[in-house]
Amino acid sequence: MLGFVIQRIIQAVVVMLVISVLVFVGVYAVGNPIDVLISPDATQLIREQTIRAYGLDQPLWKQYLDFLIRLLHGDFGRSFVYNMPVLELIFSRLPATIELTLTAVLGATILGVPLGIYAGYRPDRLLAKLIMGLSIFGFSVPTFWIGLVLIFTFAVTLGWFPAGNRGPTASLWGIEWSFLTGEGLAYLFLPALNLSLFKFAMMVRLARAGTRETMLTDTVKFARASGESEFTILTRHVLRLISIPIVTVFGLELGSTLAFAVVTETIFSWPGVGKLIIDSIATLDRPVMVAYLMLVAFLFIMINLTVDIVYVFLDPRLRHRRS
Amino acid sequence: MSRILLEVEGLSTHFMTRNGVLKAVNDVSFTLHEGEIIGLVGESGSGKSVTGFSILGLVDPPGKIVSGSVRLQGRDLIGMSEPELRTVRGREISMVFQDPSTTLNPVLSIGTQMRLALAAHEKVSREAADARCIDVLNKVGIPDAARRLDSFPHQFSGGMRQRVAIAIALLNRPKLIICDEPTTALDVSIQAQILLQMKTLAQDFGTAMIWISHDLSTVSSVASQLLVMYAGRMIESGPVRDLLRVPNHPYTQGLLNSLPEHARPGQPLVQIPGQMPSLIGLGAECAFLSRCTRSDSLCQASPALKSSGERRVRCHHPVAGDWS
Repeated sequence: MLGFVIQRIIQAVVVMLVISVLVFVGVYAVGNPIDVLISPDATQLIREQTIRAYGLDQPLWKQYLDFLIRLLHGDFGRSFVYNMPVLELIFSRLPATIELTLTAVLGATILGVPLGIYAGYRPDRLLAKLIMGLSIFGFSVPTFWIGLVLIFTFAVTLGWFPAGNRGPTASLWGIEWSFLTGEGLAYLFLPALNLSLFKFAMMVRLARAGTRETMLTDTVKFARASGESEFTILTRHVLRLISIPIVTVFGLELGSTLAFAVVTETIFSWPGVGKLIIDSIATLDRPVMVAYLMLVAFLFIMINLTVDIVYVFLDPRLRHRRS
Repeated sequence: MSRILLEVEGLSTHFMTRNGVLKAVNDVSFTLHEGEIIGLVGESGSGKSVTGFSILGLVDPPGKIVSGSVRLQGRDLIGMSEPELRTVRGREISMVFQDPSTTLNPVLSIGTQMRLALAAHEKVSREAADARCIDVLNKVGIPDAARRLDSFPHQFSGGMRQRVAIAIALLNRPKLIICDEPTTALDVSIQAQILLQMKTLAQDFGTAMIWISHDLSTVSSVASQLLVMYAGRMIESGPVRDLLRVPNHPYTQGLLNSLPEHARPGQPLVQIPGQMPSLIGLGAECAFLSRCTRSDSLCQASPALKSSGERRVRCHHPVAGDWS
């Protein structure tokens, strides 16, 4: 197990290096930030001074090496636009995104899996058909549209929830969180609901497909022949047997939502990293783009590693193959 | 003779498929005494497994028990509510399936699976449950049972896995175990071991068994009574030795003649020509008609079950016996 983790960490370092090259070259290939940094009527002298100050006159490989060396010192550079350390900027936004994403993905899973199991267990019942109808809805309706509908219905018309922004936060471990205050929760509700609808639909379908398949196996028949109750069969046998694909999708969704909750964050003016990256692309704020993409890659690697470790706990066959 | 344990009477299980009604089990009747081992033989699709599942009330939709009764010590299991049936399953009648690699849950330790089977019927402490599990595992021949409770199915060989499944079936000391081809998926050498062991266990525990198989030689080494099924119907039954020596139904005779033991070297193996008819839309005629060499106009009507002493046969023209 430990060997496996160490092996994966070495892999992760290699992947991060490759990603850094790709991101650096990719980002530097698009546009010239100097036009954004100085006013159009600046003199040639100021222009050249600025270029030199940001190291933009150096060849690409030199710029990359400098970037890598600074990186090893934990320095991602300063944002051109905000004129503050990039890391500080991203971490000031990250808790908002993490909070939103975790609420959405966890909520979708906690609600979607049991409903999906039910829909797979009794596919002919009316409730099962309703659940499946809802999941088709969640799959096919675009996020931005449902977001606007949510705002219109629950914020504008009914006035139950705020229409946007993050609202009050409370501090835990030195980080500001909304979910710790009642009012903050109200601000969190609509964007999280908006973000979770698609994931909910996916979890329902995944759990339903797995349950339908598992219910036909001899494992379930044998458990029934032993007199075990249907509840025991669903919670102890079926849930365990369908958990591997669910954990896989959970990990993937968590990663991609953390990185790309852009649409929801924009509609609800949620001050997360998704909004930050869109803004920085618009202003060609290279250090922010690079650091953000590196961070996303890192998050994906960490999530995948966690998922792989969870597999080993869920499926004993993997455990013994490794040792 | 000991007391009657199970009486199956006129059991019919049909599957309402899109193409019509599939009569998987059609008017099957037999009686099983306490501690008795009865063999249920027939080729694939003859309805022997469905008969087993029907007794436990475990027929999956679109299958349905349409008529008949299954009386366990006088109580009819058909028409019982699900909760009532659940107290019967595993505690009074349990079942062992063909392939242990699919019946055991691959992600739960065998200890967990055994405790679940135990907890389905009685509340016992963890210690008492473990003691019971270890005891039964020892009885079915799992060495070092106490340590193996935490093992998972994939850590056992095929034969050992089937022993674990048998242990789970025995756990609540049922009066009857339905064995649905429990040795078919195993190596031949292991088959013989398991066969012998199950026979011994049945004697020790006083458990009756219904041994379902397509393999006449396997069944005849465990069972005292034999039931031959064909196309969903029971076509012949009787004491094993008697039935094998003097088969009365042309189908049984054909089966026995096609055993490799009966073949002469250099001669092709004997077969019954043709194949079993589709169970959908079975007509009024005898189901064996198209394959039978003894048929005549009488066989256009399905024969009734005739009995004579301990023997029963469903044929207008039995090959042997006194059926006046």
